Amino acid sequence: MRSKLPDAASSRKMAASSAVVAILASIWLCSSIAADASGSSSETTMHTNNWAVLVCTSRFWFNYRHMANTLSLYRTVKRLGIPDERIILMLADDMACNSRNKYPAQVFNNENHWLNLYGDNVEVDYRGYEVTVENFLRVLTGRHESAVPRSKRLLSDEGSHILLYMTGHGGDEFLKFQDSEELQSHDLADAVKQMKEKHRFKELLIMVDTCQAATLFNQLHSPGVLAIASSMKGENSYSHHLDSDVGVSVVDRFTFYTLAFFERLNMYDNASLSRLFNSYDPNLLMSNAYYRTDLYQPNLQEVPVTNFFGSVMETVHTDSAYRAFPQKNTPRETRIRTGNTAEDDSRRSILTDMTKAECPFTRIVSSLESKMETVGNLDSLVNYGLVMILPVLVVSVWLST
Amino acid sequence: MAEIAESPSTTEHPLGTVGASRSKASSSALRESDVDPKTMRTTTPGLKRLFLTFSVLLSFLLGFPFLWKTVEIYRSPLPFGDMDALSKQIESSPLQFPCHFQSVFLNFDSRSSGGILDPRELRSSILSEMTKLTSQTLERQCGSCGENFTLSVVVDSDGNGLTPNCSYKCGALGALNLGDGEAVDEALRSALDESCSDYGGKLYTVVVVNGDGAGEGPKALVGKHRHGWISGRELDAEAMIGRMAEMFVKIFMNGGREDGAIHGEFMPVGADGRVVLSFSLLNANPDDWFYDWDFQKLDDTLLNPVIEALKPIANISVESQVLYHTPKSSFSYWDESLGSYIFSTKDLPFFVNSNEWHLDTSVAAGGRTKILQFVVYVPSANECPLSLQLPSGEISKTNGFISPMWGGVMVWNPQSCIKYSGSGPPARLLMHPDDLHRIFEVLMGQLRQLFGLKSDSIYVGAAGAYKLLPSEKGFTEWELDVLSRQHTCFNLHSSGTTLGSLSRLVQSLPRMIIKDEIGKQVKFSLEAAQLAQTNASVGLYEASAASSRQARSLAEDAFFHPSIMSVSYFSFEHCFAVYSPFFLPVSLHVLLAALREWRRYKQEKAKYVRWKVKQVKAA
Repeated sequence: MRSKLPDAASSRKMAASSAVVAILASIWLCSSIAADASGSSSETTMHTNNWAVLVCTSRFWFNYRHMANTLSLYRTVKRLGIPDERIILMLADDMACNSRNKYPAQVFNNENHWLNLYGDNVEVDYRGYEVTVENFLRVLTGRHESAVPRSKRLLSDEGSHILLYMTGHGGDEFLKFQDSEELQSHDLADAVKQMKEKHRFKELLIMVDTCQAATLFNQLHSPGVLAIASSMKGENSYSHHLDSDVGVSVVDRFTFYTLAFFERLNMYDNASLSRLFNSYDPNLLMSNAYYRTDLYQPNLQEVPVTNFFGSVMETVHTDSAYRAFPQKNTPRETRIRTGNTAEDDSRRSILTDMTKAECPFTRIVSSLESKMETVGNLDSLVNYGLVMILPVLVVSVWLST
Repeated sequence: MAEIAESPSTTEHPLGTVGASRSKASSSALRESDVDPKTMRTTTPGLKRLFLTFSVLLSFLLGFPFLWKTVEIYRSPLPFGDMDALSKQIESSPLQFPCHFQSVFLNFDSRSSGGILDPRELRSSILSEMTKLTSQTLERQCGSCGENFTLSVVVDSDGNGLTPNCSYKCGALGALNLGDGEAVDEALRSALDESCSDYGGKLYTVVVVNGDGAGEGPKALVGKHRHGWISGRELDAEAMIGRMAEMFVKIFMNGGREDGAIHGEFMPVGADGRVVLSFSLLNANPDDWFYDWDFQKLDDTLLNPVIEALKPIANISVESQVLYHTPKSSFSYWDESLGSYIFSTKDLPFFVNSNEWHLDTSVAAGGRTKILQFVVYVPSANECPLSLQLPSGEISKTNGFISPMWGGVMVWNPQSCIKYSGSGPPARLLMHPDDLHRIFEVLMGQLRQLFGLKSDSIYVGAAGAYKLLPSEKGFTEWELDVLSRQHTCFNLHSSGTTLGSLSRLVQSLPRMIIKDEIGKQVKFSLEAAQLAQTNASVGLYEASAASSRQARSLAEDAFFHPSIMSVSYFSFEHCFAVYSPFFLPVSLHVLLAALREWRRYKQEKAKYVRWKVKQVKAA
């Protein structure tokens, strides 16, 4: 029996056909993968709004600079356009009215005292002892009690970019909250993971200004997260300068140089994130600013800082009105009215209608009341009435004995 | 030493038998003096000590399950299998709805169109056109009709024609005055609605009328209910097939948009299925003039039907306010040629001045409700009149824009821009009902845009232009069907992913308490999702939208329950560290004592056995 060996031509044909089949299969696979991915990838959702969560995790007078850091960033973010209703500010808020503060109700971030951070329109959402790890995680994950008002909730959706800024004292894989609790890096990573699962953000920028800040990001795994820290493991973050008048350090170095970058911008600018990250000089900071971009897909040079720090509103023009509604033509005259006379008339008419349907008792009482109003000196009438009670009492007692 | 060995007694016994006993005793004493207490014993070892120690150990062992039960964490049993199954099922097979179409050819007698029209031929050609149009979309869209649609064709010429069962009755449509769109719509509705109740009234019909039109070519209109018509003079049936197919696919199936699916940013329904529409009238500078509006009347007459129509999709509540001293934050410039102050589309993102416009003051909205802001802005005298210029250079007719998921803004210029120059504050001006009406039309257009539909009433397709009749409910019935389908799909997808995430989360934290409430919410959510899927397969769009909304809201309630906080629950190491300082030393002592007693018992038993053996050997 002759074994059939495929000759060269047919083998070439077979190879060609198998290659064609493979190419077709891969094309079909790619298109189906693309089809599956397009429904759920974040690139297709529109960037609709920006949120900022600014947290100061320390309290007490000697941590003045942390509150000044947070308030400076709050002011910057508001100036660039994010409104108060989309900022969650968590502060211990015990600096401005502290008895050690030589300038009451004023918080400065520079020794020239040029800018009062606590001046106008500061809306603190969580203050004092409300700044706890539990509340912070509740804000991030969205698991509040039902009575918590909307202004204390992070109401972001899948098109939001969120800026998360934290400052205070920190260490290897933890951040100290109000001297009594710790936020660990795995807690933060877990909260971010749950946020991502529920599509609570499109992109997230985490900025941390503490000692050994980069260790806080060690356990992050969710896509769409960009993180920048003021120092790496084993390094401290230092304050910038001491204000001899106030008596404490007023700002940290990392935040100081960040603010210097933003003071040069206005809301129409489009400086990129890579310019921000490259503006940090390790010699000036006295630590190495570290940023983590492996979870973040877009190129940093193309992303403007206003994507996170400014306000964004996607707008669509309304082409035409929806003319469906029947219109009653009334003569055109502008009714100018002073005060609410029209409404008062209607209200009074309702009241008069009501009096007709009253019961006789109420009618008697109201007529009595109107008669009483005509009496001139009501007090003397009352006194006479009281005096009259005495003889009546005497008579009745005498009768009963 | 409880047992007393028989000691060899050397004392004298008074009785005579002492000798024999002495001899016996002496012999036993002899034997007993050979007994080495370290290797042998003459009595069986007692069990009392063993019993004591082992009873203590046994009580510890018996008590251990009770201790375990008292430190057990209460976890309401969640149906993890069902949750994962639902999530996988929704991911893998996108939901498709059954759609039913019908086309009617009217007044096509054999003279004009070359032979009697065959409904079967027409049906196959329309079907092939429709499949060509539906296959243009890349993947099977969730919430679309897919391949699951039926089509029936009726040819009605002069009252006698071939009609398949349950459809249009021939001769039902008499002479139609094709000029008046509204009248034709009503006539069609009365003729078509009674004919078919099999499909729950959800039959989409296109009527092609070969009458005497104006002669400019075929005119296509889509009515307010579920039908449309094409009319014209000397129409060719085959030529109309393309337009008919486009009407079915692009308009009735896709809702007048190019692709069938609505993106998430055009589904402004909150996670608890509620939306709050917040209408604000903003007076930029009340020193110039300030306006008031009679919103209550507007709400009662015009807004209520819209809210009723949207009931299956969202539970809507309305509130309104009038604000003063609310300037905008962008700038405008005076344009002489256009005679007004101009702001362009580049300024639109900066128009909303959130520092001064305190819009979100609603206490009626809960945490998961969506608020849509509708703002009517009355500019101040130094910016009056204010108009929006489009990039093409023309002035906008509506002066309004929307921002998806936020709401819409409209600029209304007062009739005369003359500043009030009297003394004292200006009087409050009530807006004229005509102006209010026009404003309301623009706001309705914006509401439609926020839900993903277009605000104008023309659709231009590949085969031609179609006029869409607007409805006084804000949305026509076929548009509501499209919205119901899309929202059902989105809600089911969302509840599936939420339940899947919840099940993964709960399983990853084995020491977290799961309250009964969460278990109940998950159960009801699964039931509602099941009901929505059943309704969808039957074709009840509104019922499926309502139950899918409920499924989503229950799933979100379960996922966002405030007791699910990982930081509140202690790890197993913590529990171990709490209990071990007491239990470890005590159990160590108890165990050691039991072991020691056991070993001792065995030794004593061995000694006794050895003595016994020796005795047996000696005997």
